[in-house]
Amino acid sequence: MINQKDKEILLEVKDMVKYFPIRAGVFKRVVAHVKAVDGVNFNVFKGETFGLVGESGCGKTTAGMTLMRLYDATAGKASFKGHGDLLQLKGTALRNMRKDIQMIFQDPYSSLNPRMRVKNIIAEGMLTHNLAKGSEVNDKVADLMQKVGLSTDHMYRFPHEFSGGQRQRIGIARALAVNPDMIVCDEAVSALDVSIQAQVINLLNDIQEEFGLTYIFIAHDLAVVKHISDRIAVMYLGKIVEMTDKHSLFDNPLHPYTKALISAIPIPDPTYDKKRVILEGDVPSPINPPSGCRFHTRCPIAQDICSKEDPVFEEKKDGHFVACHFVE
Amino acid sequence: MNKDKRPLLEVKDLTTYFHTEDGLVKAVDGISYEVFPGETLGIVGESGCGKSVNALSIMRLLESNADVGGSISFEGQSLPELSERKMRGIRGNDIAMIFQEPMTALNPVFTVGNQIEEAIILHQNKSQDEAHKMAIDMLRKVGIPEPTKRVDEYPHELSGGMRQRAMIAMALSCNPRVLIADEPTTALDVTIQAQILELMKSLQDEYGMSIIMITHDLGVIAEVADRVVVMYAGKVVEYADAVTLFKNPKHPYTWGLLNAIPRLDIEQDTLYNIPGVVPDPLHFPEGCKFNTRCTFCEERCKKEEPELIEVEKNHYARCFFIEKVEKEKAKTKAGENL
Repeated sequence: MINQKDKEILLEVKDMVKYFPIRAGVFKRVVAHVKAVDGVNFNVFKGETFGLVGESGCGKTTAGMTLMRLYDATAGKASFKGHGDLLQLKGTALRNMRKDIQMIFQDPYSSLNPRMRVKNIIAEGMLTHNLAKGSEVNDKVADLMQKVGLSTDHMYRFPHEFSGGQRQRIGIARALAVNPDMIVCDEAVSALDVSIQAQVINLLNDIQEEFGLTYIFIAHDLAVVKHISDRIAVMYLGKIVEMTDKHSLFDNPLHPYTKALISAIPIPDPTYDKKRVILEGDVPSPINPPSGCRFHTRCPIAQDICSKEDPVFEEKKDGHFVACHFVE
Repeated sequence: MNKDKRPLLEVKDLTTYFHTEDGLVKAVDGISYEVFPGETLGIVGESGCGKSVNALSIMRLLESNADVGGSISFEGQSLPELSERKMRGIRGNDIAMIFQEPMTALNPVFTVGNQIEEAIILHQNKSQDEAHKMAIDMLRKVGIPEPTKRVDEYPHELSGGMRQRAMIAMALSCNPRVLIADEPTTALDVTIQAQILELMKSLQDEYGMSIIMITHDLGVIAEVADRVVVMYAGKVVEYADAVTLFKNPKHPYTWGLLNAIPRLDIEQDTLYNIPGVVPDPLHFPEGCKFNTRCTFCEERCKKEEPELIEVEKNHYARCFFIEKVEKEKAKTKAGENL
């Protein structure tokens, strides 16, 4: 891996916040907020895969959607190379951004329009951004379909005629069609069976190499994230608690939540002997997150200070960021 | 297997066929296995391999278009031949089941306590009051905080992990001999999954029940199972004790599957690709069902269906060319990785 300092920063996210208002009563007054993403900071380097991992409700998907401007951010900044602050873009500028950042979704069933043929699904982006005309479109679509492992004979079929894994390939071809710099993969392989999941992961790796893509890979499955990512950020209740390259994260996790998360994953080896940290209780509600460090209610090493002061997310070692009062 | 003990549940040549408008679907096509007292049998396979249908066949919970053949014997009784009345005495009492999605498996209009009490009153002749007390005890046992308060709550008031705990409480309230768990942790987060698996293990130690753990997750299987059945397209392709199966898989499908999962404990460059997709159950291929995706496939595999043979003591696999897998394994070991 290249030294962090030499790498080119493609995306720089600063204090990004996304609150969803909860309205109640006759006048639909805002009575509270779901604090889905509550101030996250991270950089994504060009050509790398940045993994964003956490349990359900931790805000990882919201973070991805906010970056894509599918939600409007409540606060914060996200500078993307050549586009300025993503979170402020409007009109044509916003449109142009979508050419450079594409997304692959979790559910290959609901993310493809059932009334459109595969060819049109893949070609739509190219046409919108004037990247191809006339017969060129067909050639390009055929080329993309081959690249993602679909038969070009199926160009005029509808999504329902494909299996889950094939649909995910259509989604990948659609994202590639506009020649993006970065793809946000939101749980892109979670809905797939083990053998199909391996096929799609390998495909994502291959096209990354071929097109020089940068990925933000959002997933709950730590083993998948470890396999595909260069650097990983672990989220808990709207905040990033730890961020570093994958080797330091798995060999030397610093945050107690990361430690518990890693130890909770079943290892497919019955003779593997491991010490397990079992966390008590459930993830608290993001409407009313705990005071201080949000993890203190479940943390095995929590002290008084943890419920009072929110720990600073800072660099403890080279490129290894943690938010915890008790990291030595 | 394990000749010294008598199996508690014995499934032999079980077939479950569905008559559908499009034709006959052979969801389960001749599977056999035993469950011994106090052990955990893992059944693993991808979607559509018949692992859940197999469970529903045992419990006799299938719809009328299902045609169940073969024998299922539980403590000497043949379950398919029992009257519906007698079956009801076994279901939930001797053999209990927990499901994947606790929100759909629990009744949303009754309190959790109500639903646990129902089973207790039905099977154990207890009064409402006693049943209520037992329900609270059960909830406490499965680690639900404030059970006296939670017992009167509705399923939607509980979190996913709590609901799964409540369902386990319900299943265990009658002290079953066999617990069938169908993907019990698939819908849960990993930290909650770890809690539930730990809970199931400790309850198994306490009650001495047998567990049939059905899942697609090989990690979960490695964690809990004593013996493992691997299913593919309605058939058992491999059957062995857990350590043997994970350390020394014989069938190309098992071997491929184990190499296709991203692992935390080892470094992998690329994942093994099992090409293609699971065949459509209406049009299973001739011969070996795995022949369309197998890297070791030869002419013979397309014509004849291999039998499940005992390749080593208590280790069964359904493949003509096991030695090819062995060779490939040796190569992989030499090169450390795929």
